[in-house]
Amino acid sequence: MLIHRLNEDSIEFTDVEPIEADLLRQIPILCDVHGDSRAESRLFSTPADPSQTQFLTDWEEYVRPELQHIFLSARTTVEKDLEKMEERLGHPSRLVILCSHGEAWLNALNQARLVLANKFEFTDEELSLHEVPRSFSRRDLVLLQINFYAAIQERIIDGLEGCAEGDEKEPE
Amino acid sequence: MAETVAEKETKVEIEAPWNVVVHNDPVNLMSYVTMVFQKVFGYSKQKAQKHMLEVHYNGRSIVWTGVRERAELYVQQLHGYLLLATLEKSD
Repeated sequence: MLIHRLNEDSIEFTDVEPIEADLLRQIPILCDVHGDSRAESRLFSTPADPSQTQFLTDWEEYVRPELQHIFLSARTTVEKDLEKMEERLGHPSRLVILCSHGEAWLNALNQARLVLANKFEFTDEELSLHEVPRSFSRRDLVLLQINFYAAIQERIIDGLEGCAEGDEKEPE
Repeated sequence: MAETVAEKETKVEIEAPWNVVVHNDPVNLMSYVTMVFQKVFGYSKQKAQKHMLEVHYNGRSIVWTGVRERAELYVQQLHGYLLLATLEKSD
């Protein structure tokens, strides 16, 4: 898979292999933390020490719903973009996203990585490791998935450099 | 005749500043954190990278100091980007 700037306002994913397409489709699904308290506590981390009672109460009442909206909106954007992926059976796929959707992609990829990291309780050391694992247990594969999403984030960040912001033209 | 003006004493209480602190998190990429600092605070790439490296090596960085209301808003924005940010009273 290659990710690069297509033009002034779009980023293109080319040669997306079926397994990569499948991993991309998992992003919005992974973002759904419903019932996973560990993942939820990371996505909605505490913004101050417990002495800030009023601030924390207001945060829960007003800010948390706003954050939920931001995270859900990012997921939905990615979901809708993925629906437009050009797929031909047995052939690599192609996906074009608007630069203005870049932040939503980064956010959703972060959500997915945070959820996986929390669910499988990866340590800081494991997450910083970029070696090919010796075995391929479920855990090892999830770590590869987290790193795959990180690599996509890096390419999107590169692609966003100098992108025209707020342009809503449909991709080619 | 000269007018007598009573002098009023005005006390202005200066509130202690508040810090916006970002904490290290192994999941957030260095390039992503730099990009977020640039977007939220309007920092140059160099300044954003300086704070990102502080977070990475020291575990935390005070990314902004000032009035509470604005600090709260920054913390909120950083949480929207999934960064571990907290509001702390400045010493």
